Amino acid sequence: MPDHDHAHDHDHAVSEGNALRAEALESLLVEKGVVTTAAIDAVIRRYEQDLGPMNGAKVVARAWVDPAYRERLLRDAWSAIAELGLARGGAPLVVVENAPGIQNVVVCTLCSCYPAALLGISPSWYKDPAYRSRVVREPRKVLAEFGLELGEDVEIRVWDSSAELRYMVLPERSPGSEAMTEDELASLVTRDSLIGVARAKAPGSDAPGARRG
Amino acid sequence: MAEPRIPPVLDLEGPAAPPQRNGELVFDAVWEGRLFGLTMALHEAGRFEWEEFRARLIAEIAHWERQHDSTERWSFYERWEAALEGLLADKGLCPREELDGREGVLAARAPGHDH
Amino acid sequence: MNGIHDMGGMHGFGPVRVEENELLFDAAWEGHVRGMFALILGAGLTNIDAFRHAIERMDPTSYLTVGYYGRWLVALETLLVEAGVLRPGELDDRLRASSAKRGGGSPVVLESVRKPAPDRGPFDVFRPVEARPRFAVGQRVAARNLHPPGHTRLPRYVRGKQGVITRVHPACVFPDTHAHGRGEQPQYVYSVRFVAQDLWGVDGEPAASVNLDLFESYLESA
Repeated sequence: MPDHDHAHDHDHAVSEGNALRAEALESLLVEKGVVTTAAIDAVIRRYEQDLGPMNGAKVVARAWVDPAYRERLLRDAWSAIAELGLARGGAPLVVVENAPGIQNVVVCTLCSCYPAALLGISPSWYKDPAYRSRVVREPRKVLAEFGLELGEDVEIRVWDSSAELRYMVLPERSPGSEAMTEDELASLVTRDSLIGVARAKAPGSDAPGARRG
Repeated sequence: MAEPRIPPVLDLEGPAAPPQRNGELVFDAVWEGRLFGLTMALHEAGRFEWEEFRARLIAEIAHWERQHDSTERWSFYERWEAALEGLLADKGLCPREELDGREGVLAARAPGHDH
Repeated sequence: MNGIHDMGGMHGFGPVRVEENELLFDAAWEGHVRGMFALILGAGLTNIDAFRHAIERMDPTSYLTVGYYGRWLVALETLLVEAGVLRPGELDDRLRASSAKRGGGSPVVLESVRKPAPDRGPFDVFRPVEARPRFAVGQRVAARNLHPPGHTRLPRYVRGKQGVITRVHPACVFPDTHAHGRGEQPQYVYSVRFVAQDLWGVDGEPAASVNLDLFESYLESA
């Protein structure tokens, strides 16, 4: 706190300087035809949408291949997660399972509670009033905006984290993934699928899982 | 075969490993992510072998550590940028004078410009 | 409190905006505020419930405009002023001063106001209680029509509505008292499922439910 103010100003100025240099580098290389903006955007999109929290993905992959592990995960999430050598988080965690005909989706309408200990920083949209206000009232519509269209044959369960318990969705295993190794399965699991606004990716797909646009 | 989560080229541990949390990359500013994307895109376009970049990154980090002590502000991606600049200059892809010049042009923009 | 933060079901916030190329670049910001939070938590000056309530007490316009980390900063300042560590307006003065010159400013001394630090993490909320749970899985309950002026975790949109208990959790620190320095007073927490059309009437979607974790005193038999 005490020296935070001017140190922060200094850090900010340095960061602005770095940003300028990085921008100069990119603009020159694009002009010279060495690289394209689209290629850079594609890398970033891949990292932002597809290559989400590895730890959550690892847990899901194990649950997909090991039914007994899945049972333990649903009963006592942190203990099961600790079996994989991952650290226990500070807040209680509950894993809710998708199934044919059941889609779970997580929100915190009152503030923005999120299973950060397992999944890291939450996306901005999760913390924004639009998501917090709407997903409890019109989940099917909100999911459709994310590219996940669900008919009335699918029951949508919204979990509003109103107490200290945090929630993570266990998405359904992607069809066609039967021959994949656990590591390969983990690469199908996106952050959005762990929040419940998308399915896990299809095998061999380059496209992000069910993201709109 | 599914795409690996973090490409094998990136170190997950050791001096050349980028900052991570919960098994994914984290960046302190937009420019860091942009720079990362640029580097991977250049590599994917075949502009350099990963080991060439990696060796420079490790050298830049070691050089910084010799010049500074641990109480000073550390930025992984500043070291990354230095490594990339050096590599691109040596390959003739982006001479330093040109980069300095472009930086000057951008800096002269009116304030309030959104990078 | 019936504040702006309690936004479940509200209209008017527009579409969910997803930043297409947003990488996780909040790390430094998050680090700073989490560090400050840990500092005042470690000094025994607050708990997570009081922190949340400090955010809830913000002026509503500011709440909607300063952003997620902006809200944390306001809450931290509020709590530090209320703890007597900062004078009201002192943070503004210091920011004005530091933008004019580098360096200077005396360290904030927490020692004079430090209380015993809690020995558990802020989210470590399970507590043993003697009483048995009042409600059971499968039981139909109603969320009571309560409108506490202070901190609560009973959203407006469920008050007076009926649902079914799907899970009974261990007793947890009760936010409504803990936020106001009236002790942990742990209560059982119940996962309760509310059918969408019971919450929103004819405007609710079919085949949808909202599941909340509610403290025992928020509920009554239906």
